[in-house]
Amino acid sequence: MRHSLEPGARRTRGVPGCTAIIIRKRSQNLNCLHVFPLQEWKSLEILAHIKTRKQAAVTMSKRKAKDSHLTVGDCVSQAQRLLRDRFCRQQLPAGPAGVEPQHKHLLELLRRTAVHGESNSVLIVGPRGAGKTMLLNCVLKELLEDSEVKKNVLLVQLNGLLQTDDRVALKEITRQLQLENVVGDKVFGSFAENLAFLLEALKKGDRSSSRPVLFILDEFDLFAHHKNQTLLYNLFDISQSAQTPVAVVGLTCRLDVLELLEKRVKSRFSHRQIHLLSPLGFERYLHCVRQQLSLPPDVPERRFSQEWNASVEALCEDKMAEAALKKHFNSSKDFRSLHMLLMLALSRVTVSNPTIRPADLLEASRLCTADAKANIVHGLSILELCLIIAMKHLNDIYDGEPFNFQMVHNEFKKFIQRKSHSVHNFEKPVVIKAFEHLQQLELIRSVDGSSATKTQKEYQLMKLLLGHGQIMEALQKYPQCPTDVKQWAVSSFG
Amino acid sequence: MPGSHRRVSMSTGKLGASEAESGHSSSKLSASKDLSRVRRRPSSSTPGVRKKLELSSPVKKLNRQEVLGELLDDVFEAEKELASKLPSSPPRILTLNVSLTPLRPSTESHNGIRIAPLKTCRISPSRTAPPLQDHDSTRDGLGVSPLVEEEEEEAEAETGVKRRSLRTPVRKQPTPKKSSVLVRKARTPSSRKDSSSTTREPALVILPEEHAEQTAMTPRSKRKSAQLVAGRIRKQLKMLSTSQYLVSDSDDGDDGFVPSKKDKESSSEDDDEVEDLDGESDDEIIVVKRSRRTAGSRTPRSTQKARAPARTPSKTPSKTPSKKAAPGTPRTPRHATPSIPSRSLPARNPGNVLEEARARLHVSAVPESLPCREQEFQDIYSFVESKVMDGTGGCMYISGVPGTGKTATVHEVIRCLQHASDQDEIPAFRFIEINGMKMTDPHQAYVQILQKLTDQKATAEHAAALLDKRFGNPAPKKETTVLLVDELDLLWTRKQNVMYNLFDWPTRRHARLVVLAIANTMDLPERIMINRVASRLGLTRMSFQPYSFKQLQQIITSRLNRVKAFEEDALQLVSRKVAALSGDARRCLDICRRATEICEQSSSQPSAPGLVGMSHVMEALEEMFSSSYIAAIRCASLQEQLFLRSVIAEFRRLGLEEATFQQASYQGLTFPPVFVQHQALCRVEGLQPISVSEGLAVCQRLGACRLLLLEPSRLDLLLRVRLNVSQDDVLYALKED
Repeated sequence: MRHSLEPGARRTRGVPGCTAIIIRKRSQNLNCLHVFPLQEWKSLEILAHIKTRKQAAVTMSKRKAKDSHLTVGDCVSQAQRLLRDRFCRQQLPAGPAGVEPQHKHLLELLRRTAVHGESNSVLIVGPRGAGKTMLLNCVLKELLEDSEVKKNVLLVQLNGLLQTDDRVALKEITRQLQLENVVGDKVFGSFAENLAFLLEALKKGDRSSSRPVLFILDEFDLFAHHKNQTLLYNLFDISQSAQTPVAVVGLTCRLDVLELLEKRVKSRFSHRQIHLLSPLGFERYLHCVRQQLSLPPDVPERRFSQEWNASVEALCEDKMAEAALKKHFNSSKDFRSLHMLLMLALSRVTVSNPTIRPADLLEASRLCTADAKANIVHGLSILELCLIIAMKHLNDIYDGEPFNFQMVHNEFKKFIQRKSHSVHNFEKPVVIKAFEHLQQLELIRSVDGSSATKTQKEYQLMKLLLGHGQIMEALQKYPQCPTDVKQWAVSSFG
Repeated sequence: MPGSHRRVSMSTGKLGASEAESGHSSSKLSASKDLSRVRRRPSSSTPGVRKKLELSSPVKKLNRQEVLGELLDDVFEAEKELASKLPSSPPRILTLNVSLTPLRPSTESHNGIRIAPLKTCRISPSRTAPPLQDHDSTRDGLGVSPLVEEEEEEAEAETGVKRRSLRTPVRKQPTPKKSSVLVRKARTPSSRKDSSSTTREPALVILPEEHAEQTAMTPRSKRKSAQLVAGRIRKQLKMLSTSQYLVSDSDDGDDGFVPSKKDKESSSEDDDEVEDLDGESDDEIIVVKRSRRTAGSRTPRSTQKARAPARTPSKTPSKTPSKKAAPGTPRTPRHATPSIPSRSLPARNPGNVLEEARARLHVSAVPESLPCREQEFQDIYSFVESKVMDGTGGCMYISGVPGTGKTATVHEVIRCLQHASDQDEIPAFRFIEINGMKMTDPHQAYVQILQKLTDQKATAEHAAALLDKRFGNPAPKKETTVLLVDELDLLWTRKQNVMYNLFDWPTRRHARLVVLAIANTMDLPERIMINRVASRLGLTRMSFQPYSFKQLQQIITSRLNRVKAFEEDALQLVSRKVAALSGDARRCLDICRRATEICEQSSSQPSAPGLVGMSHVMEALEEMFSSSYIAAIRCASLQEQLFLRSVIAEFRRLGLEEATFQQASYQGLTFPPVFVQHQALCRVEGLQPISVSEGLAVCQRLGACRLLLLEPSRLDLLLRVRLNVSQDDVLYALKED
């Protein structure tokens, strides 16, 4: 019998100390789920027990195959798992790299709230992938290591993408503060009651006696679009008055976020902003790549990890790889896109090819930077390709004015009559179908989206969403493209 | 029924014949005390109370109920006896236990009914606590009750003699006047005391009338006699009132509870007599009221004076949260009041000078005084004071940019007025605050006002109707209500009926409502209000000017209050900078706080940091006011920088002059030509040209930071691009390196 443990025997929020383990029995035909609500410690114990048994079984089988040495395949898969975890940011880095002053500022700020009960508000601003959440999580981790703080602080995490209006946000806050059980389902009668209730709760506290609440608002700019900015006003108002101590931490990538705030809300915000704009040089970038790719000395096996790390060193020295990385760096300093690149390279590592070679990196880079639409064009039929070429000619003739199906069809018919020998003369319904397919692929787009239903399909005005260069490039790479079609494409007039 | 009941009372009476007398008298005393307390509390009897009374009053008009109530009093007396025998146990709980046991099983079905009138009688003065929770309140009340006792004794000592001399002659009057035949018929021959308990129910009905009389005859001069006592009581109360709950609970608790305690103390026959008389006299007062006796000769007024200040702690604005809390969840028990759990470890207090300064500079720190707003304070104060004194209504519109101390000044005014009314310099009034930002819908204003006024919960329409009735109809006893409407502009609706009502109520004859409306813009009445609303708002307006740098400096200095943490120049720099930008005091304080942090971090020894100097303030200012666009451009990746440059290049290519440039930049450029420019620039820079997808990605990244303004990305190639920073800024930022 094989038990596969779902990765999240995960703690359900709001019900502390109670978890559910889901064990799926695959050996039996019925794919049933058993859910056991258990005390946390117990569940962890069980988890550990099952894990060790599983590991024991694995090592037993390994020992049979090859005494006490992991195969290359095992090493590779373990290394891949470790690195994937790293790239998918399931692990926090050991410390804040390159943002130490910001880290210190934020840590001090939150610590003052937690320890002194001082209310604060702060915004962390930085472009996407600059490490805002990473910084905050590092700070929180460090903060909560302090037992004095941990016992005292309440944490409320909101995300502008999830809490799309204040009603949802208030419910979420109540839930995360675990106030909902205080009044049963009564609170959630109406939005107004909920707001009054929460304000009441927060108003009753004072600096010295009640537990500080840390509000973390991810995608802060989206909260500013809520009606009247009620939530923000109230949070900032609490932070500026003698009520329950709160710290409001907003994360956003918009530089103009303060201009979004209404004047009263803005006045109540403390105007503390932590900018994550580090002028990252290529040297440091390379260093990061090296760090991200290298394995710890003893995982999975000393010799393997030594070899691996040496190959990483070699990779970073390599001219071609460096050029690829440089190109990537020039395009964006975002660490997420770097992780994407490295992930693609990593997945090309196999048993026969147990290290990352420069060629892998180049291939990954090519995949990353490939033009998405050119890829789509490669998959089109000849008829669809012909239509696109016809549209391109129309664009040339009419200088980018929108066209309709009838125009495209005429252009296509002209081409067929004049010189086509290889392209079959398709019926009009077939051509319409092809045209619609192009629309579905969003290679063409109707100019006025809403009134599309009014006009007949053939006469809807369309625009081509492909550039001249893109079409020509795609044609070059199109497999077995008929020469007359190619010629038609390059000819200056239809 | 009466027979069985008498038997009960007899059987309990047998328990201690010697104590029966004192027990009876004390119960009467307690009843009369209840009564007198209710009566002596003209202003504290909130509408909620009145409502409760009204609710219970029809019940009392029923004859059967009256009889029942009377009978119950018998039982109650017996219990009193028992209670006095067991001095250590809380008497209230005991009361219930004993009252139930002697009853026969057949009558048990009536228990609920029987106990109910008793309870409503006794609890009616309490404001917030629902009947069933009185055990709690008695427990809480234990701590404070001796004080109340003392206060009563003082009051009585003062007036006791007079009262006796005055009351006794009138004593005979009530009995013939009492018209309810049934009551007398039902009255058991044994209990003269019963009369007190039966009459007290009618008394409750009369209550409102009586209030009116009392307020009508309270000129300031007559109160002076009681002020000495009042002062002492207040002092004691303040010592005790660590939390408002305790006080308010004690209010609830002492009503039903204190008398029994008094029992224990009143051992001498003489005392009993006095109290007996007291009880009787109270009895008469009710009737006296009916016989239109002039209020001036009424002696208990002094007691009322003595009590009035004692109530005040529960009337101060700090009271409102507790009021609000209870009705927030009416059906749930009282424990359901929301609160953030308290911390396990106490908050640390500021350690060094800078931390101390930071704590003082926090906006939430309540300053000792509000400097620089003396004139505005005076204006608002005299406005509200005159309205409260005259018992009329009015509106005032207060405007000013955020952070100029509008709300703070009004709060300060109210605090002072409340202090004055504590001192009996002006009549008591109620303060209610609503905030347009703290409600989800303008119509919620009605709900919130009603809730704060009467603890009632209603839908918006119903609340509006109730409030309209309340402010529209003459009520015999009504204290002035001061309503602060913060963020008025958010109460705007299409029909403007919320605003209309808010400003219409004060103009009604009997409303006695003062509305202080606060908003940011000076011309709000002209701009958004329709004529009938603006006209009702009137012309009493005040505008708070932004603080000048001197004022800001004064504010900081007064807040710091001799904590030496800042250099003089640094303070001046901050206040000048803020005054030049907005005159927002909050901003000023925030900058100062940030400067202390910077100072702390930069100082070499953390234990004894130096003063906050110019450099620290400069750094804080830089952090808060500098635009980050240029830094963002400098930190952008090479392709992003190139893209910005190609946007500018495309504008140049189109050959737009500076004037038309604005317009064109407003309309934006389509992506493809910009991308062509980008490709060209890439070749110039010796970089490999990027694909369209990548180009779009670069463009989107710039759009996410708002360096560029973009149309939604679903437009793909057709999206328009425009710069969100000035062309010069981009060129400047890119030229440096």
